[in-house]
Amino acid sequence: MRDELLAVENLTYCFRHEKHIAIQAVDNLSFQIREGEILGLVGESGSGKSTMARCIMNIYRPESGRILYQGIDVWNPKEFRRHKRLLQTSRQFIFQDSSSSLNPKQTVEQIIAEPLKIHGQKPERGTFRGEAAFQLNQVGLGEECLDQYPNQLSGGMRQRVAIARALTMKPRLLVADEPIASLDVSIQAQMINLLKRLQKEHGFSMLFIAHDLAVVHYLCDRVGVMYQGKLLELGPVTEVFENPCHTYTKSLIGAIPIPDPRLERARVLPEFEKENLEWRGQKTEVSFGHFVWR
Amino acid sequence: MDNGFVLAGIRPLPAPRCEKETWYKGRPVLSFCLFFLIAAGCLFCEAFIPKDPTFMDFYHANTAPNSEFWFGTDTMGRDIFSMIWYGGRISLLIGLLGAGISAFIGILLGAISGLGPEWLDGLLMRFTELFLSIPNLLLVLLLQAFLGEADVWSLSFVIGVTSWTNIAKVVRTEVRQLRGCEYVIAARCAGAGFFRIVFIHLLPNFFASILFMAVMNIRSAVSAEAALSFLGLGLPLEVISWGSMLSLSEQAFLSGLWWLILIPGVFLIMTLLCITNIGNYIRKGKSQTVSPQSPHLR
Repeated sequence: MRDELLAVENLTYCFRHEKHIAIQAVDNLSFQIREGEILGLVGESGSGKSTMARCIMNIYRPESGRILYQGIDVWNPKEFRRHKRLLQTSRQFIFQDSSSSLNPKQTVEQIIAEPLKIHGQKPERGTFRGEAAFQLNQVGLGEECLDQYPNQLSGGMRQRVAIARALTMKPRLLVADEPIASLDVSIQAQMINLLKRLQKEHGFSMLFIAHDLAVVHYLCDRVGVMYQGKLLELGPVTEVFENPCHTYTKSLIGAIPIPDPRLERARVLPEFEKENLEWRGQKTEVSFGHFVWR
Repeated sequence: MDNGFVLAGIRPLPAPRCEKETWYKGRPVLSFCLFFLIAAGCLFCEAFIPKDPTFMDFYHANTAPNSEFWFGTDTMGRDIFSMIWYGGRISLLIGLLGAGISAFIGILLGAISGLGPEWLDGLLMRFTELFLSIPNLLLVLLLQAFLGEADVWSLSFVIGVTSWTNIAKVVRTEVRQLRGCEYVIAARCAGAGFFRIVFIHLLPNFFASILFMAVMNIRSAVSAEAALSFLGLGLPLEVISWGSMLSLSEQAFLSGLWWLILIPGVFLIMTLLCITNIGNYIRKGKSQTVSPQSPHLR
């Protein structure tokens, strides 16, 4: 068993619109990410995946619950201030939409060197430009991109720049919020392979949020299934995909289209209705490391 | 009608008329040239002014424009042609400094208001409105009275400090729109401080919308200097500027020295008109919002 890097304990987050309307986006969520593993989070849109990621990155303040990163309670102001540098450098975030996560008025070089400049670190490869070129090379882009602006790049290249920016700080935890959702399928495949390779080389842990099950199956070590802000099932990828226990997981996995039209037509989709979800939050361990909340 | 296809009709279209695009179309070329000429003339005035603008030649006081004194001389015998260029420097300097100070204060307060918590935003905006509700001239007089004898620096400071409100309002709205952008959130996640976020991430993205106002502030600062000097509250007579030159005009009215009013007045109005035209051009260009997408997308 590897060491625990991030622990989320009973996390709850509410969006309050007016005085009386509150939407429970994340509901009593607990899970851990271990050193060097890729945890996938799947669920339909609006199930609270991104909200959870933003809570982990200190963007949204959770209603209750704790987030421990290397034992630091990140939402405790005192502890946050004491470990500010560590938290801001070793946790990195990749946004879903690369066109809005890169400043349109900065060149690629400035974007990649920005975190280094903020923390006053000396670039390892001499100059900021050299460092930026090195990081670009890591994600498969050439030096000719250094002086370009984000809107001169294609979507896949922009996302690579965003990954390069995250890698500059040598993160131990990378939170990727649907990094491939806004790309087309062929580029998605490239990005997945890139992330897989980078993870192998650098050994960072990753929280990978997606709604594409096939991608999660290919990339992740463990997978969590979310629905309406609740975590329904969590376990090793092969285990969850071969032996789904929760009805929602079953219907989710059953909805993966089969490339053969004859099989596809003959297939019976498992029924899942919202009303059937009786959630008492009881955690049961089905097999080793495979949990279901019912 | 046996082939199954029916021609519903062909409407002959007239060939689209190609209007020749001229580079100067819609651009205030004349204003740009004139403003450039005036600004350059003021900057490099030492090279061509024929007389010392501060030298008082009492033998030639109140001479009408002639071949020696091209624009005539004033009541103290100073050569107006030399004074115009020499004094234009001070006027334009006050204009730029005043606009710069007001833009800085406006950006800073607007950004604090836009990024800060709700109570601070409310407080700052009410303060801004309070400031707006007091007549500008009154505030200028009050501040100048506190600062004592006016010189170039204090005058531009006073003008700057009293004209930041409109910029602050616009900056606040723009910052409110931009602060939810993911690149701002990303910068904050990476630990960027307030000034870094404002001046590196926000300012370049809302600069276009305040550029018009900043340019217009140059205009109002130049005219404020002239107005104050005309009232005798601005620069003293020894400091040559267009405003202080105009302040001599009360004597000119009585004795028919038309060139004392006309020449600085024409220069002032020309400069203000040019700046207004340029500002209007910037505003129009901004509302068209052309996306700067590059043609060679890969």
